[in-house]
Formats: sequence, structure tokens, C-alpha cells
Amino acid sequence: MNWKRYLSPWTKGEAPGREPQGRPDGADATPSDPERGEVVREALRTVNDPEVGLNIVDLGLVYAIHATAEAVQADITLTTPTCPLGETVVENARAAIAQALPDLADVTVRLVWEPRWTPSMMSDHARGQLGW
Amino acid sequence: MRAGNLAGDGVSPSADLRSRRLARAPILALAIAGMVTGIAGGLARLGVELPVQAADLTLHHGPLMVSTLFGTVIGLERAVALGRGWGYLAPVLSGAAGLLLLGGMPVVLPVVLFVAASAVLLVNALAMLRLSPALHSAVLAGSCACWLAGNLLWLAGFPLGAAVPWWIGFLVLVITGERLELSRLLKPLPGRTPLFLAAGTLLLGGIALSALLYDGALAPVGPGLLAMAVWLGSFDVARRTVRQSGLTRYVAVCLLGGYAWLGVAGMLAMWGGAGDAPFLRDAALHAVFLGFVLTMVFAHAPIILPALLKVTVPYSPVFYAHIAMLHASLLLRILADVLQWTEMRACAGLGNAVAIVVFAALMLTAVRSGQAA
Repeated sequence: MNWKRYLSPWTKGEAPGREPQGRPDGADATPSDPERGEVVREALRTVNDPEVGLNIVDLGLVYAIHATAEAVQADITLTTPTCPLGETVVENARAAIAQALPDLADVTVRLVWEPRWTPSMMSDHARGQLGW
Repeated sequence: MRAGNLAGDGVSPSADLRSRRLARAPILALAIAGMVTGIAGGLARLGVELPVQAADLTLHHGPLMVSTLFGTVIGLERAVALGRGWGYLAPVLSGAAGLLLLGGMPVVLPVVLFVAASAVLLVNALAMLRLSPALHSAVLAGSCACWLAGNLLWLAGFPLGAAVPWWIGFLVLVITGERLELSRLLKPLPGRTPLFLAAGTLLLGGIALSALLYDGALAPVGPGLLAMAVWLGSFDVARRTVRQSGLTRYVAVCLLGGYAWLGVAGMLAMWGGAGDAPFLRDAALHAVFLGFVLTMVFAHAPIILPALLKVTVPYSPVFYAHIAMLHASLLLRILADVLQWTEMRACAGLGNAVAIVVFAALMLTAVRSGQAA
């Protein structure tokens, strides 16, 4: 590891490693239902980061959603693994999905760390709120 | 994608998760025990008459507040972030060390536990650094190294005062490391990283100078504290989020207030000089530990308590009461220190303690209303 690795995210404008895949690893082969996926995404907009006052979708923390009639799987991240709120965000996300789709028995929310989150993943709304 | 090792790796809310959260409550209780007895020792030191015999507590006020209260809370938070059982060893050790201090054991025993706690926390931070190789992770690791260095000096027989600058480094760097990470959310302003590195270097250099050459006098630490305060006030996300409402605004107001106190602490430390100025030392230390560090605890308690204990803490504007009391009583304390007015300082110290009690009562009330809802 060299020092440039530590400093580059701050000095070179947060170049992302790669984009989120859009489909969770391990999701079943059944194609995702776009309408149901949108319901899940809207549900996740109710999960806020209280310190920043923005939801996890606008913050770019929702990497992938796979929704079928039987199951929903979502991959989310945090801005850093050093944040202690992982459990809480996962639980809140799961509760929000369960509330939006109460008939669904299988809701899986995973915390993932790759690709690493960068500010470029935030929505235009979030960036506007944060002065970009 | 690689799933993390934190909770929620595709499992439903489990008995395991609930039991982990239940196990956190006794650790938090150790921190609270350290806080209560640390406050009692602080008040006894100021000459406030207490219903219990607190003579020994006066000696242990600093370690109980810094290493048992703040060290245990930070250790617990870091263990939750790491998500591995061994991470909890750090807060258990620092909490147990506080109990040994209170139990009148030979001081070397609790000091050894504090050293072990800080070593485990450093290993935790290095594991995080490996998982997330970034500047803020390195700063967190550096903060843990400061705690370890201070505890080792204490163990080696140096006066407790020699450890204090390192303890300041521990708490200031752990907080600024987290703020550095969040500052990425803002559009990068010119100079953000170089100025952070400059402030950090100034702080660490001052700490080393103070601890090694000036017997823990705070003057060399002052410029670094002031520089960090200026950096936080210039680049922190609170500058934007203070325009929002509710809990987000409350947190931002607390943070900005804390940064102002950090700057005041830097100026007081420099004013106190390298010589013996006990009143100014009291003022500078409490500007850091109460004005900056405790304010951060007040700010984040409504966010971190749900993460630690699975409780809900609904925001209420009444939360501004304890932060206003803390800052008003701290201002009074610093004025009393500057005027060397011991009676007024004792009253202000009592006000500091009352602010903490009010904070605890309001958090408990909020948790109960969250359960009822």
C-alpha cells in the first residue's frame, strides 16, 4: 500500500473503482419485475441518514434491487465501512420494504462494500442539497 | 459484489443480532459507571461537598472520564462497526479498568487493562484500514495509537499529566477522522486535504513536544487544536446541514458549537503557556473534553443509541436544553478559571454535571416515548 492510495480519493475528485452492477450477487435467475423494483426503490427513499438529512437512494447507497413476485433482494452500502450504523440501516431498509410489500415473505438486504461508494453516486438532488 | 462482514449479510433479524445488542447494554453500563464516578471525582476536586466519600475519586477523575467513559463508548462504537466479537474486548477492558480503579486496586492493574484496551482498539482500526484504505481510516488508526501511547506513558511511570496530550489526540483525531470522511459529501473546496494534513501534523507534533519535553503542558498542543477547529469550521458537512430541520439541524448546531469550543481550547492552551497555570489548564482541558468531545456525544446520541441498543430515540426540540446548559455552564467555568474564582468554578462545574444529568434524563424519556410509539 502506498500513500497515494490513501490520498487519491480526496485529491483526485473521487474517481470510482467501478459502477454498481444493478443486480445483486446470488439473486435467483428469475428476471426482476421493474414495477416491483420501483416500489422497493420508493420504499428505500423513506430510509434516511439522519446526520445528512437525505435518503439512502439519493445518497447513492442502494446498489442493486432484484424483485420478483416471491422475493426481494437489495444490496446497499455505506459511505465507509468504518460507520457503525450498518446494522441499523439494513434493518430500516428491510422494514421499509416489508411495509411496502406486506405480502412478501422473503426480503433480503445485504450490506456490500464493492464497489466503494464515491460522491459521484449521489443523485442530482442530493448533490444540489450538498452544494455540488 | 463482496458482502461485508457486518450484520445483515442476507439474514433476517435474528436472535443472534438481538443477543449482541443485549450484550452491549452492560458495556454501556460500565461507561456510565465511569461517567458517574468521574463526575463525582471532578466535583469533589472543585470543592463541592458530596454525600459520599469521594476523596479517591479526585485522583481518578481524568482516567474515568477519558478512558472509561469516552474510551469505552468509542470502543463499543468501533466494535459495532467492525462486527466481530473480538472487537468488544476493547470496551470491556476499558470498562473493567474503571471498575478496578474504583475498587481501590493497585493502579498498575487498571493501567495494564487500559493499555490492552487501546491496543485492541488499534488492531480494530488497522483491520478497518485494511478493509477501507483511505485517509480517514488512517486518521482513526492514528487516534487509537495516541490513546495507546498515552496509556503506555502512564504505565511506564510518567506523571498522568504526560499522558493527557495523547488522550486529547485520541479523542480529537477519532472525531476529526469521522468528520473528514463525511466531508466527502460536500463539493471539494480547494485545500481540503492539504489543510487537514497540515492541521493534523501540527496537532501530532504539538502532542509529542508537550508529552516529551514539557511534562504535559498544553501550550504546544494549542496551535494544532486551533488549526483543527478552523478546518472543521471550514470544511465540515454541518455547514450545509445546519440549514435543514429537526434532528439533522440539531446535530449540525451541536457540531458547529463543538468546533467553536475546540478553537477556544486551542487559544486557552496557548495562553496557559508551558509553565504552571492550573486554572488555564482546567479551562483548556474542559473546553476540549466538555465543549468539543461531550458535545459530539450529545449530538450523536439520538443516532448512535438506536445502533447500539436497538431503541428508538424520537427527536424533540427539547434536546437543545442540555446542549444549551452544557455550553452556558462551560462558559461560566472558563470565565471563573480566567478570573481564578474558585467558588464560581465550583458552581459552574455543578452546572456541567447537571447538564449531563439532564441529557441522560431526556435521552431516557425519548427512548421510553419511542417504545410507547
